[in-house]
Amino acid sequence: MAVSARSIGEAFVSIAGRDRVRDDTAALAAATVDGVQPRWAVRPASLEQLSRILALACDGRLAVVPRGAGSSQELGHPLSRVDVVLDLTGLDQVIEYNPDDLTVTVQAGISSGALAARLSPRRQWLALDPPGGAARTLGGIVATNASGPRRVRYGTARDLLLGVRFVQADGVVTWGGSKVVKSVSGYDVPKLMVGALGTLGILAEVTLRLHPLPEVERSWLALFENPRAAQALVERVVDSALQPSRLELFNARALAQASAESAGAGVAVSIGSVDEAVREQGERLKAIAESSAGRLVPLPEGFWGEVESAMAPLESSTVLHVASLADRLAGTIGAIEDAFRIVAPRAEVRLSGCAALGTLRVVVSGATAAETAAVTTRVRALVAEVGGSVVIARGSIELRRSVDPWGPVEPHALALMHALRDEFDPGRVLNPGRYVGGL
Amino acid sequence: MPLSGAFLQELEGIVGAGGLVRTFEGRLVYECDMHTFYKGAPDAVALPRRTEEVVEIVSLCRRERIPIVPRGSGTGLIGGAMAPVGGVMIGTNRMDAVLEIDLPNRCATVQPGLINLSLTRAVASRGYFFAPDPSSQMVSSIGGNVATNAGGPHCLKYGITTNHVLGLELVTGAGEVVRLGGKAADRPGYDLLGAAVGSEGTFGIVTAVTVRLLHAAEAVKTILASFTAIEDASEAVSAIIAAGIVPAALEMLDKLMIRAINEGTGAGYPKDAAAVLLIELDGPAAEVEAQGERAARICWERGALEVRVAADATERALLWKGRKEAAGAVGRLAPTYLLQDAVVPRSKLPAIMRELIAIGTRHRVQIANVFHAGDGNLHPLILYDDRSPDQLERAKAANEELLRACIEMGGTVTGEHGVGLDKAKNLPLQYGEADLNFMYRLRRAFDPDSIMNPGKLLPSHPACGEGFRPARPRVPDGAWI
Ligand SMILES: Cc1cc2nc3c(=O)[nH]c(=O)nc-3n(C[C@H](O)[C@H](O)[C@H](O)COP(=O)(O)OP(=O)(O)OC[C@H]3O[C@@H](n4cnc5c(N)ncnc54)[C@H](O)[C@@H]3O)c2cc1C
Repeated sequence: MAVSARSIGEAFVSIAGRDRVRDDTAALAAATVDGVQPRWAVRPASLEQLSRILALACDGRLAVVPRGAGSSQELGHPLSRVDVVLDLTGLDQVIEYNPDDLTVTVQAGISSGALAARLSPRRQWLALDPPGGAARTLGGIVATNASGPRRVRYGTARDLLLGVRFVQADGVVTWGGSKVVKSVSGYDVPKLMVGALGTLGILAEVTLRLHPLPEVERSWLALFENPRAAQALVERVVDSALQPSRLELFNARALAQASAESAGAGVAVSIGSVDEAVREQGERLKAIAESSAGRLVPLPEGFWGEVESAMAPLESSTVLHVASLADRLAGTIGAIEDAFRIVAPRAEVRLSGCAALGTLRVVVSGATAAETAAVTTRVRALVAEVGGSVVIARGSIELRRSVDPWGPVEPHALALMHALRDEFDPGRVLNPGRYVGGL
Repeated sequence: MPLSGAFLQELEGIVGAGGLVRTFEGRLVYECDMHTFYKGAPDAVALPRRTEEVVEIVSLCRRERIPIVPRGSGTGLIGGAMAPVGGVMIGTNRMDAVLEIDLPNRCATVQPGLINLSLTRAVASRGYFFAPDPSSQMVSSIGGNVATNAGGPHCLKYGITTNHVLGLELVTGAGEVVRLGGKAADRPGYDLLGAAVGSEGTFGIVTAVTVRLLHAAEAVKTILASFTAIEDASEAVSAIIAAGIVPAALEMLDKLMIRAINEGTGAGYPKDAAAVLLIELDGPAAEVEAQGERAARICWERGALEVRVAADATERALLWKGRKEAAGAVGRLAPTYLLQDAVVPRSKLPAIMRELIAIGTRHRVQIANVFHAGDGNLHPLILYDDRSPDQLERAKAANEELLRACIEMGGTVTGEHGVGLDKAKNLPLQYGEADLNFMYRLRRAFDPDSIMNPGKLLPSHPACGEGFRPARPRVPDGAWI
C-alpha cells in the first residue's frame, strides 16, 4: 500500500510531540546529509519515543540516519536514501554515576564535555579524547569508534564500553553487556556496537568504565630531523619502564601548526602519575631523548589545544585514518607524504599518530577528490601488506564516490557482516548503504 | 548417538590414527571439565595439528549434522568442554606452536593449544609478558582463555583477555576460515573479533590467536593487610580506589577461608583476622613506592590488625601462597563445594557480604570467600558433602539466592569463568527476551546449523529458538501503511 507522507508525519508527532518533529525548510536544510534532504528531522525526548519512532519508520520502510553532534556525517558511502534524520541530542541525561565503582551510565546523546563536567569534581574522567571531543556525543564517539592520543594507555571505546542499550531497526529495545567492570555473561554485544554506525541498532544508553584523573600530568616535546628518528625514540620509550599516557608523533606540518617549533618530526610524551613518579619518569625521558637524535624542549603553552585545532578538519579538508604497524610508522608517513607530493603537490598534509600502535590521522587540504582518491588507493596497497587499512573519516561526496571510503574487508568476515545486517535490519532502515561493503 | 564406522574412518583419514581417540576409556578422560558435576563423554575426540584439518573435521561433522565441542586444557569451571549430547570433540592440545613473536610491534601469534604461561616464558627474558593471568595459567590454553574471555588476579589493572587479543583465525560452524582483526588496529567493519572472544566455542574453533604483549613493570610491591571485620577491609578497598590508585591486583579472603588456608598451607595469616586483603602494585618504581605507602596507610586508617609488605620476590610469593592455594585448602572443610563467579559493583561489597552470611545461615551451609575485591568479582565457595543429597539441595538453593542478590545489586552472573552448561539457565536473571534473542541470532550467523557446542552459553528458552521475535513497541494507529 502507498505510504502517505502526511500521515506518517502526524504519527511521528503523536509519538514525540509537534515541536520535536520538524519538516520545515530550515530544519530540513540543516539536517541534510550527503546532499540528501530528509523528509523529517525528529528529536526524541526519551528511549520510549526513540523506540516507537523506529518501529514506525521500519513499518513505513523509511531510511533513518542517526545523528549526534553531527561531526562525523561525511563518513562512509554517500547516502542515497534519507527519510528521517534522528537527532539524538535530546537524550542527554546522566542516568547513574557511581564514582566508587568508577562507572557511569549515560544517555547516548550527552556530549563528552557535559559528561566530563559531571565527573571532574570527583577527579574522574572518561579516558577517550578524540579530536573535537568535547562537543561530540558519547553515542557518536562509540558508533564511529573515535579515539585520540590517550588510546596508547587507556585503549579505545571497545575497552571502555561495558554495557549498551540500543534500539534495533524494528524498534525493539535491547540490552547487551553489564553495568559492572567485569562480566562474561553471554556474548560481548557492546563490542559489536562499537564503530558500527548504528547499523545494528541505535545507541540509546551506554555504561562506561571511568578512570581516576592522575594527580599530576606533564608533557614533553622531542624534536627530530625526520620521522624515522622520531620512531626510534618511540621504540626506546615503549621498550622502557616508562608508562606514557600520550605518545603522539607529528609530521613537520602538524608540528608547525600546533607550535612555533620547526622540525622534521616531533613526538609529544605525556606522563601522568603521582608527583614523584612524574618527575622521575621525566628525568628518564630526558636521558633517552638526549642519547637519541633529538632534542627535548619544554612543551609550548597550550600545545594540546593547538594540536586539537591543527588536527581538526577545516572546511573542505579531508581526514584519513590510517592503520599500519608501529615499526612501519615512519615508512608509512613517508609514503603518504610522497604520494601527496607526487599526485597533489599543492596539498597541505598534517599528520599525527599514536606512534606505539601504528595508527595515523591525516588531515589534507588543497587536494582534489581525484588526487586524494589516488593517494588513498596507493597507501592502501602499501598497508595491506601488514593487514592495515585506510578509512576516509571525513571526505566530500565526490571523494567517497570515487574510492571506497572503507577499503576492502576480508571476504569471509564481510559475509558474516552481511549475515548480521540481513538478520537485524533486513529492510535497511538504519543508515542504508553507508557502512562497509555498502551494508 | 554412536558414530558410524564410515564416519570414524573419514575422521581418522583427516587426523591420522594417532590423532583420534575412540575407545571408551580414552573418551572418558574428556567427559568433563573441572566442573565435574556435569558429565558427557564425546563419541570421538579428534586432535588435529593444523587449521586445514580443523576445517575438514568441521565440514565432515556439518555434512552429517554431528555436534562439535572444542576443548583446550579442560580446566574450565562451567561445564564447557564436555559433550552433553555426544558428538565429536576437537582437542587443541597438539596445536601448541608459537607461530610468531613480533617484539617491535609487541605482539605474538600462537596456536590455540599453547599453554598461557608458555607464552610469557617465551618472551620474559626480553622483558615482556602476556597479561591475562588466570590462576590456571600454568595449565590452561590460550585458545581456552580466548573462548572464555578469562580474567585473573591482575586484570584489575590490565584488563581481561579480550583487551589483549588483536586477531583470531576462526573456523566457523559453517566450516569457513575467517580472519578477524590482526596486528594492525582499527579494521573497518563490525568488531566480530570482540564478539568472538568469550563465545565459548559456539561460533567455531579458534585455530590461531594474535595477542598483545606488554612490557614488564619495573617494580612490584605486595602488601598483605588483615582486618578484624570484613566491613573494614571492604572500606579499605573503596578508599584505595577513591585515592586514585589502581592496583594490579586487589584480592580478599574471609574468615573461613583464612582458617582453611592457615590449616592447609601454613601461609601464616593472622589467626584472629576476619578478612585479609592482598594488594599488589606494579609500575615505575617511584609510583609503586608512593602508592604502596599510601595504600598501607589507608589500611592502617581503616583499622588494620597488621600490614605486611613483601621485601622481595620470595616474600611476595609467600604472601600469595595462601591465595593461590585457597581452592585446594577448602578441601579440609568439606568434601566439595559449589563455586560461584558473580560480580557486584565494588561499592556493594559490604552489603553483599552481609547478605551472603544471611543466606548461609538460612540454608545452613558454610560459605568460604576468596575474591577479586578490586572489581567486585566474588568467588564464594558453598561447601557441602556430596554424600548427602539434602546438603546438595541446600547448597544449590543458597547458590541461586546469592546469584539473585548479586543481580539485584546491579551485578552480573559471571565475571570471568564464563557461562557454559552451568550458568546458561541463569542468564534470564540478567537479560530479557529481546537481549537473549539478539544473542541467539548473533550465534546463528556464525553457526547456521547449530552444531557448535550445543547446549552451552545460551539457555533453552523460547527467546533462544528459531522464529521467536521479541515484542515490538506499539505504533500509533493510522493509515500510513
Ligand atoms: C585451579 C583453577 C584456577 C582457575 N583460575 C581462573 C581464573 O583466575 N580466571 C579465570 O577466568 N578462569 C580460571 N579458571 C578457569 C579456566 O582455567 C579458564 O576458563 C580457562 O580459560 C580455560 O582454558 P582451557 O584451555 O582449560 O579451556 P577448556 O576448559 O578446555 O575450554 C573452555 C571453553 O572454551 C572452549 N574452547 C577451548 N578451546 C577452544 C578453541 N580453540 N576454540 C573455541 N573454543 C574453545 C571450550 O569449548 C569450552 O567451552 C581456573 C580453573 C582452575 C581449575
